[in-house]
Amino acid sequence: MCDHMNIIEIENLGHRFSDGTLGLDNINLTIKEGAFVIIGGQNGSGKTTLLRHLNGLLLPNTGTIRLAGIPVSQNLARSRQIVGMVFQDSDSQIVGETVYDDVAFGPENLRLDRRQVKRRVSDALKAVGLIALADQRPHLLSGGEKRRLTIAGILAMEPKVLVFDEPFSDLDYPGVRQLLKQIFALHKAGHTILVATHDLEKVIAHADHLVIMKDGKVVRDGLPGEMVKGVEAFGVREPFDSRPGMEVKS
Amino acid sequence: MTELTAFSFRPGASLLHGLDVRFKLVFLVIISLASLKAAPLALCVLTFVLIGVIIDIRLPIKVIFKELRYFLILLLFVFIARMLTTPGSSLIQFKAVSVTLEGVYGGILVCWRLVIIIMIGLSFVATTRPSEIKAAIQWFLNPFPFIPAKRVATMMSLVIRFMPVILDQAKETADAQRARGVENRKNPVYRLRKLVIPLMRRTFESADKLAVAMEARCYSENRTDPGLSSGIRDWIALFAVICLCIIIIKI
Repeated sequence: MCDHMNIIEIENLGHRFSDGTLGLDNINLTIKEGAFVIIGGQNGSGKTTLLRHLNGLLLPNTGTIRLAGIPVSQNLARSRQIVGMVFQDSDSQIVGETVYDDVAFGPENLRLDRRQVKRRVSDALKAVGLIALADQRPHLLSGGEKRRLTIAGILAMEPKVLVFDEPFSDLDYPGVRQLLKQIFALHKAGHTILVATHDLEKVIAHADHLVIMKDGKVVRDGLPGEMVKGVEAFGVREPFDSRPGMEVKS
Repeated sequence: MTELTAFSFRPGASLLHGLDVRFKLVFLVIISLASLKAAPLALCVLTFVLIGVIIDIRLPIKVIFKELRYFLILLLFVFIARMLTTPGSSLIQFKAVSVTLEGVYGGILVCWRLVIIIMIGLSFVATTRPSEIKAAIQWFLNPFPFIPAKRVATMMSLVIRFMPVILDQAKETADAQRARGVENRKNPVYRLRKLVIPLMRRTFESADKLAVAMEARCYSENRTDPGLSSGIRDWIALFAVICLCIIIIKI
């Protein structure tokens, strides 16, 4: 086996919505374990639709997706455990009445015993720095804290891949910085990271794989430094550093 | 939302914090029922016990009274209604309205009981995690074959979680409409319609997102059972509470 095995393999993936519009059109993509991938594209380009196929929230009309070699649709529970997903709107994904309960929601769904649930919750809360707020009601958290809570809720399921869908929307500058630090730390800890965003600038310096989508198709796929030139043609703002021919950094 | 923050869990290490939630729920019910039967002397006893409990929990009394001010206004109305409508020997007579001695006495008694019940409820909520309340209700519903206890428990916790979110959205929608001069419209039906429809739409949209997020976290009804444990302390407390209730009813 090679150094970095492919954790996600997408072959000829196509998805048509029930109203007949084409969501994804013949997508082929492989993502290596431990990679930091940015999926860029303007709103409506198919980023969210693609991500929702990774853990079987949407099922393909054509093609297959394999997670560590096994098709997603073969075992949905396994797929959802491997691919943790942080959604755009924090408020509608926090289900617990307290911070602790929310993080415990996932492990409880996995039917772990109480002791394990407790350990996973406290590990996850420590990882995002919210352990002191364990008894707080989620409603009273700040935007950045809510976003970190949603990450903790996913971490408690011990996924290999972390998927962030437009993670920077609605966050103030300190919130963005803290979230970036969090994402980088998770990458360093060995997670495969996928970030869907229309704002490449914030994360591109840390990424090792850039995918650009437009109208449900993958139009660029490769190393960020090589792929970032001319992305404005696809409705994505080119990072400032790349324009005068400088090296891209954060 | 500040009106509802009085009724929330406050971490601590008091006697009540340590008791099993199922016992506490039973206490809540039987003491409340007993207090409806209680005479003034019994209410005094109950009040002293409650004050002891509240001091033990370290509830910030001032904050709570401030947050319960609307409830106190309601109590005042109850008192006035009782005072004016109970027949008996009149204290003050003003045209057709008369304040009776029996009315004042009855009003004080009713308000006193209501305050006690609210305080019992408050002590319960302040010392019990919402997840424990949910677990206890699930436990009590389990013997009924026709009630899906786990589903009820999940629905309950989602209601607790989303009430403040929905209220916030309602406020935001109302503010946005006020900014566009909705107050110039005097027809309350029109205003209600304009408020409720966008609010409902938004709530259903969040519900959709919530369902997807729950699915992504492997939601199923077959989950880890809530951890509930009772000990000798709970049975002693149960005995004490039953004695208290007998005293309250008998005095």
